[in-house]
Amino acid sequence: MSKIVEIQNVSKIIKGRKIIDSLSFEVNKGEVFGFLGPNGAGKTTTIRMLVGLIGITSGDIKIDGHSIKTDFEKAVGKVGAIVENPEMYKFLSGYKNLVHYARMSKDIKKEKIDEVVKLVGLTDRIHDKVKTYSLGMRQRLGLAQALLHDPELLILDEPTNGLDPAGIREIRDHLRMLARERNMAVIVSSHLLSEMEMMCDRIGIIQTGKLVDVQLVSDFVQGTEKVYEIEVSNNKEAQKCVKGLFPDMTVQVVENGIVAPLKKEDIPLVMKELIMADFQIYGVKEVSKTLEDRFLEVTENKEAAVHG
Amino acid sequence: MVKLVRNELMKIFSRPGTFVMIGILILMVSVMGGIVKYNKNHEDVKVNANWKQEYQTEVKNLEKNIQNSKNSQEIKYFKRDLALKEYQIKHNISPNQDYTVWSFVNDASGMISLAGLFTIIIAAGIVASEFSWGTIKLLLIRPINRGKILASKYVSIILFALLLLIVLYTFSSILGVILFGTPDNAVPYLNYIDGKITEQTMAFHLMISYGLKSINMIMLATAAFMISAVFRNSSLATGLSIALMFTGSTITVLLATKFDWAKYILFANTDLTQYFDGVPLVKGMTLTFSIIMLAIYFVLFQFFAFFVFKKRDVAA
Repeated sequence: MSKIVEIQNVSKIIKGRKIIDSLSFEVNKGEVFGFLGPNGAGKTTTIRMLVGLIGITSGDIKIDGHSIKTDFEKAVGKVGAIVENPEMYKFLSGYKNLVHYARMSKDIKKEKIDEVVKLVGLTDRIHDKVKTYSLGMRQRLGLAQALLHDPELLILDEPTNGLDPAGIREIRDHLRMLARERNMAVIVSSHLLSEMEMMCDRIGIIQTGKLVDVQLVSDFVQGTEKVYEIEVSNNKEAQKCVKGLFPDMTVQVVENGIVAPLKKEDIPLVMKELIMADFQIYGVKEVSKTLEDRFLEVTENKEAAVHG
Repeated sequence: MVKLVRNELMKIFSRPGTFVMIGILILMVSVMGGIVKYNKNHEDVKVNANWKQEYQTEVKNLEKNIQNSKNSQEIKYFKRDLALKEYQIKHNISPNQDYTVWSFVNDASGMISLAGLFTIIIAAGIVASEFSWGTIKLLLIRPINRGKILASKYVSIILFALLLLIVLYTFSSILGVILFGTPDNAVPYLNYIDGKITEQTMAFHLMISYGLKSINMIMLATAAFMISAVFRNSSLATGLSIALMFTGSTITVLLATKFDWAKYILFANTDLTQYFDGVPLVKGMTLTFSIIMLAIYFVLFQFFAFFVFKKRDVAA
């Protein structure tokens, strides 16, 4: 896999405050990269630097080998993007908006505009004024605008914002298709974690301007161990009982029972012990950690490290 | 670049406000035509048959004045008047001319300030609106240098101003012909340059006059464009430029009576007609001086606009 974006030790200082602190990561062709972080972590700032809307204080960003600082036109020519909401000229029709942006790139023919319109499914309404569009339609027009010049890198800031479930699914399928069939790299930022889980191949977590972690989604969600929830009567006593078996384990007490990170082969042993001690067991289930749990875990750890 | 200008023009002419402006301009000229026509019907044209004799006595007075006066500015003015009158007597060009299409086109040139107002509004919005609409983000992530984008916007403003002037000139000509008719025998405009009188056709003279009178509006539109690009605020740009438009020249004239440095103020130099048929505002000002001052202001405005626009972090 070849790299399309290289972010090299990038920092951004605005009015003496370090918004982005030595950020480095890479995105490969044909990959959907999720950019995740709490509000104010620097996601949008990073994306703005990627497309040259704001300057870079130190470090460099290269897109297909061209620096966005020194070779802006070549670098940004490979990029299609929606930065935050897709704001369009409301007094123009959707089609004229696309013509407007088509004129700003080289050699975009009328057929290409029609093709893109068809791809995002706006053919029926494209000649209506944008002010009559719903948010979902604007989102799609935004996507059309970003795809006009066949970019090698697609950057979307919160692409599913304001879409209904069908629309979200459609965008998701589009992105996957673009990544797979056209070998396009896609960078998506979102706070909808479950969305990211379904859309992305890799995820980078950013917090207070620093990159906390970059992992494959599958690794990220799985983590290393599994957690089991045992629904049991008298949960506090049960916790002590399990602690007795595994003194080093952190066993949590939850509403209807206890939660413990057990190995699969240890479950019968624990069951036996609990039954012998006369606990009533109503069920045992595996709790797979969602991205959200992991996300909170990672960011909280970091915060604890910073404050501790 | 042509494509970029087309984009900007598309944006200007897709908004109803633009057509309202052109409509108002046409309406105002029509109203003016109506009023002039009405007044003319109710007033007898005084035909002064003895104009030649009167001119001859005036010529003598002027000659005396030139000898007595010590003010070189005054002498210049008298000399011009003298030359014109002598020429008129010699070539039998009567000052008693009917009100014709050309008089009307000349009067309609007062509407240039209205056209200027509209141009300022467009200029003030052309950069600032992109920020307030949020479209600046999608505009600046194209493979085009920011400077080119800004330049295309400025060119569009100039084209818009030109269009308004053409509309004004053509419409007032057409309306003038309808209301007042063409003159029976074409009277040329007399041009006085360096002590010599030359004849110009009226149509051509008026075009030049329109051009000279629109310098003020172009400079103010450039100022509005600069404020718009620097502060991203169209209200500020419109307000400030219009305030300058209304007060600028008055204040400059007041200052000019007291201070010599008033000649460096923009508004002291925007009226180039002062060098053709009038007296310069401050002693010692010349056409070259004014043109240099205008060029300096122009470059300064553009420099600020481009410098800030290119460096700006777009974080709105």
